[in-house]
Amino acid sequence: MLRPKLPTVLLILVAFCSHLGAGEKPDQPWAFSRLKRPTPPSSKNLKQGALIVNPIDAFIQRGLESKQLSPAPPADQYTLIRRAYFDLTGLPPAPEQIRAFVDNQSPTAWDDLIEQLLKSPQYGERWARHWLDVARYADSQGFEGDNSIPNAWRYRDYVIRSFNEDKPYNIFVQEQIAADEIWPDNLDLDPKRVYRLSETKQKHLQAIIGTGFYALNPQVAESALDAERLQHETLTDWVDTTSSVFMGLTVACARCHDHKFDPISQQDYYAMQAIFARSQKQYVHLHTPMMRGDWHWLYPRLTAVEEARQALKAFRKRTAGRALSEKEKQQNQQLRDAIVDRLMELPEKANSVPNEPFDILMTSPTATVLGHVHPKLLKPVHFLQRGELEQRKQVVKAAIPQTLAEATGHPASISKAFESRKELALWLTRSDHPLTARVMVNRLWQWHFGRGIVSTPNDFGAMGTAPTHPELLDWLATEFVREGWSLKQMHRLIMKSSTYRAASTFGTAHHLKTDPDNKYFWRMNRRRLEAEALWDSVHQTAGSLNLKMYGRPVVPPLAEDELAALREKWQWPVSGDPSEHTRRGMYILVRRNFRFPMFQVFDAPLTEVSCPQRDVTTVAPQALWTLNSPSVYRQARQLAALVLRTTQNNPEKWVSELWFRALCRPITAEEKTETLKLLSTLETESAKRSQGPLPDLPPELEKLTSARAAAYIHVCLALFNHNEFSFVD
Amino acid sequence: MPQSTSRIEYLAGCTPNRRQALARFGMGLGTIALGDLLGREASGQQAARQSGLPGTAKSVIWLFMQGGPSHLETFDPKPELAKQSGKLLPEEFRKYDLAQINTADAKVLGPQFPFQQQGDSGLKISSVFPQLAKQADKLAIIRSCYHELFIHGSALTMMHTGTRLLGHPSAGSWITYGLGSETDRLPSYVAMTNSFFRNGTATFSSGYLPAVYQGTYLRTQGMPIQNLGRPAGLSEENQQTLLNQIRQWNTRHRDKRPGDSRLDARIANYELAFRMQVAAPELIDLAQETETTQKLYGLDEGATENFGKMCLMARRMVERGVRYIHLVDGDWDAHGGVKGNHTTRANAVDKPIAGLLADLQQRGLLDETLVVWSGEFGRTPIMQGNDGRDHHPYGFSIWLAGGGIQGGKAIGATDDFGFNAVEDRFHVNDLHATMLSLLGLDHEGLTYLFEGRERRLTDVGGSNDLSARLVRR
Repeated sequence: MLRPKLPTVLLILVAFCSHLGAGEKPDQPWAFSRLKRPTPPSSKNLKQGALIVNPIDAFIQRGLESKQLSPAPPADQYTLIRRAYFDLTGLPPAPEQIRAFVDNQSPTAWDDLIEQLLKSPQYGERWARHWLDVARYADSQGFEGDNSIPNAWRYRDYVIRSFNEDKPYNIFVQEQIAADEIWPDNLDLDPKRVYRLSETKQKHLQAIIGTGFYALNPQVAESALDAERLQHETLTDWVDTTSSVFMGLTVACARCHDHKFDPISQQDYYAMQAIFARSQKQYVHLHTPMMRGDWHWLYPRLTAVEEARQALKAFRKRTAGRALSEKEKQQNQQLRDAIVDRLMELPEKANSVPNEPFDILMTSPTATVLGHVHPKLLKPVHFLQRGELEQRKQVVKAAIPQTLAEATGHPASISKAFESRKELALWLTRSDHPLTARVMVNRLWQWHFGRGIVSTPNDFGAMGTAPTHPELLDWLATEFVREGWSLKQMHRLIMKSSTYRAASTFGTAHHLKTDPDNKYFWRMNRRRLEAEALWDSVHQTAGSLNLKMYGRPVVPPLAEDELAALREKWQWPVSGDPSEHTRRGMYILVRRNFRFPMFQVFDAPLTEVSCPQRDVTTVAPQALWTLNSPSVYRQARQLAALVLRTTQNNPEKWVSELWFRALCRPITAEEKTETLKLLSTLETESAKRSQGPLPDLPPELEKLTSARAAAYIHVCLALFNHNEFSFVD
Repeated sequence: MPQSTSRIEYLAGCTPNRRQALARFGMGLGTIALGDLLGREASGQQAARQSGLPGTAKSVIWLFMQGGPSHLETFDPKPELAKQSGKLLPEEFRKYDLAQINTADAKVLGPQFPFQQQGDSGLKISSVFPQLAKQADKLAIIRSCYHELFIHGSALTMMHTGTRLLGHPSAGSWITYGLGSETDRLPSYVAMTNSFFRNGTATFSSGYLPAVYQGTYLRTQGMPIQNLGRPAGLSEENQQTLLNQIRQWNTRHRDKRPGDSRLDARIANYELAFRMQVAAPELIDLAQETETTQKLYGLDEGATENFGKMCLMARRMVERGVRYIHLVDGDWDAHGGVKGNHTTRANAVDKPIAGLLADLQQRGLLDETLVVWSGEFGRTPIMQGNDGRDHHPYGFSIWLAGGGIQGGKAIGATDDFGFNAVEDRFHVNDLHATMLSLLGLDHEGLTYLFEGRERRLTDVGGSNDLSARLVRR
């Protein structure tokens, strides 16, 4: 509506493309241009040359000088360690980790910290969560039935492992798009190593789980009524998601008409659908034939459970509609016990491979991956007039978009019938591909700085925004490829720069007037913790976060009012082991139709389409959650007790330690006075009212008067509501 | 009724794209903060709200009959259908797909209730709604509504968001985005149900619009909103002490961090949350209403009590500045025994809806409140089993009232069998366009940039805006 109309867009575009040089068409988006490595500005020519640690700073400095902006001073050590922890692991540092870092005088202290965090398993979880936003990850299909995708989490775990092992990004892309075509393999056992798969085969199996990326699409269960429409909807999701995620192009509009702004024609769109037309979702076994054999050997144990259930059902049928005699009541109990006993006798591990747990919920664990349709069952892709299934035109052959093919000097048509995704993946991950590396380094930059160099990370086309620092983007992209597509190398590079280490609290009137949105990165952007990071942070601060990794989604209990919007309450099956309830947020069940209420309130992404960047809104239910929710109150109790353990009942020490733990910095004298006063006010207020004993108190608090215990808890509650707790400077 | 706050101050200098940037980064004008928080700085409005559009509506109550009420038993009289009852469906209709029955060998089922002329206007309504019939002169029935989706999930998504795919904002989100909020203590978009939301929270999702435009699920009993009650052990006095301290800390925190309006918003947010703790329980306290009013909505009868409460709360919300209220009754999905099902369902909603219309009028609220009645589709003219009807999206009825509409009229028609909409065909996108017009919003101007496209509630449709024909001259 208030966007510039077409001519203005073109003008901007022309202006943008003018640096491309002669011979290139002006109507080609900047992001289709060849990736060239710009020379970083020399520090000699920059005023703040001393601040330049690496080329990132040089490019940023040059931009700042052009606007007469000075960079913010470096952040202090307390801010830096907290920033680094949240950025790389999504968790706050523990008090001892803070002290060690602040006391470390070594010139490599910062570099060492980065290395240590990159090695931490929590790094993979943090960055996998970013990727899962982009991959529109969910454990159910949405719409009315919101049917479960029971093994979606295998893909989630694959992503965590990929980040932790610093899998080169080109391989990561290839695996997700076409592992089954690039590394086709089976689970034949290695005869020399008896029960094991060879390492190569294990690697291939993991890679194929990556194609689970395509098994996560939202889907109307009843659309199975109409196979044509089901296929069309699936292909639509696959093509839209592939182009948004890997290419940074939104092609969805080309389904109905030629793209108005980008050179993607409707023909190109259906040609991309045709790349996927031979693919279908299928199950792959995760257990080796030996292990599956083990399971089948134990099959009678499963049968025994079912038989015990049948016995109880028969008894109930026989005695339905009348009161039970004493003897029958006993019988009833015995029959129920028998089911439990049979259930408990189910094995937890496979005999042959001691470290591989059985999932008792499946006959043999599987992942949903991509495979191929039988050639006789292929449904050709048609050009659809106005995107309507009823208006089928000519059959379209698989091809990559024409303009991009030309830009990369690659033939557009894809010839090999059953290796079409492979060809797409290999083309996308060519070291000179104009989009793949640019799009990914921009995402990395955004996840570090809160905003990308291109602020529309899924849209590098003409409707997206132009890069604020095109040369920096290209330099980073070439560096990324040069470093073997290593994400960890890019983290090192970015985090070691002065740009990254700048304070966020800086801001003169001149800066705020010249560049209020900080497009030039003159300071660090302050970021509010995302839903999962806030959840993790509350629990970690209180010492109750369970850092167990991987596995089936966890389902924490919800209050009645939180569950109210869920149609069938059994769709929220609470995890039986209470220690699971405080797992990291990323492991909590993601239902498309019912988001975990706290996550919904704090802007967790919708999972219907790729989410390149989360909204950061401020709504009343957020304040209500931190003030009133049972979860936060429970953690306030835990936190009060945890700090009491090291400070005994000494309010001054308690207050200082609490502050350090929750906000990761020493308390100021002013804050100390205030907090002690708050503690005593709360205690007096509580003592005045004859209040009953507080529920579920940890032993440290039980020893105190109930007014004192309540005061400690409520100070912790107040601190959880401190903005400093929810924001990273 | 709290005074509505002027929106002008929040609108200054805030273009939609800038607004989107603010939602993401929260940087820039400090004055934005409170408006952003309340969804009040209504960016869509500047470009979209146009004088000259016909409506006088400020708020919307959508009475949603989930499951799909039959048009043939309610608002679309079909004498021909009665004559054909028991015969095979004519050839011309057999090419259409339905959810559960095969049109090839299906038999016609005649209307299960008689229709009579009602009110001064003589509008024809079936005997299933005796109380509502007395309000006939307020209703504008549209008998030519249609879309192409014959399963609940996609049809509901279409009715709520104007497209068949998930992830798009619901009409209530678009409207609060376009008009902003007029309450500083209640959510501006509320959803309630006496049964369940078939599409879960997607029913009132804000899709790609910022979460501030998302509907809030208000429960009719217990605590109306999540986390509204103080935790056990925290007294009101304690909470007030904490809030004061939190404010002091957060103010100091903000003062050291120039140029970050989110921090202002967060401070204001605690005050909003506190006001909501008081206002929401007051809202649902229906004991404040006179006995006469309670009876008007059927609160004294078992069958009508539930939906009556929701309708009465809806009126109270309109008075308190809530912009959009979505009420869901269910389940109208009468695959078998359409007569029995519709009798029960109509008994539950007839009196409450009639009471709501009468009450809005007597309080002078009807002209500024648009009331919409619909399901996600109608039901087939052919029988399922012996006495049921399957889902039917190709032609069905809805009605509108209030918001400046001239009642007592019917627009559009289906064919003699009630199968296809044939006259003044009115797609769901047209319905949304019409609603927006009645609220003074232009459906082509109310847009939001997402994934490279300026998105609309009406997608690429909405050309048959009937608002000009609906309003009082």
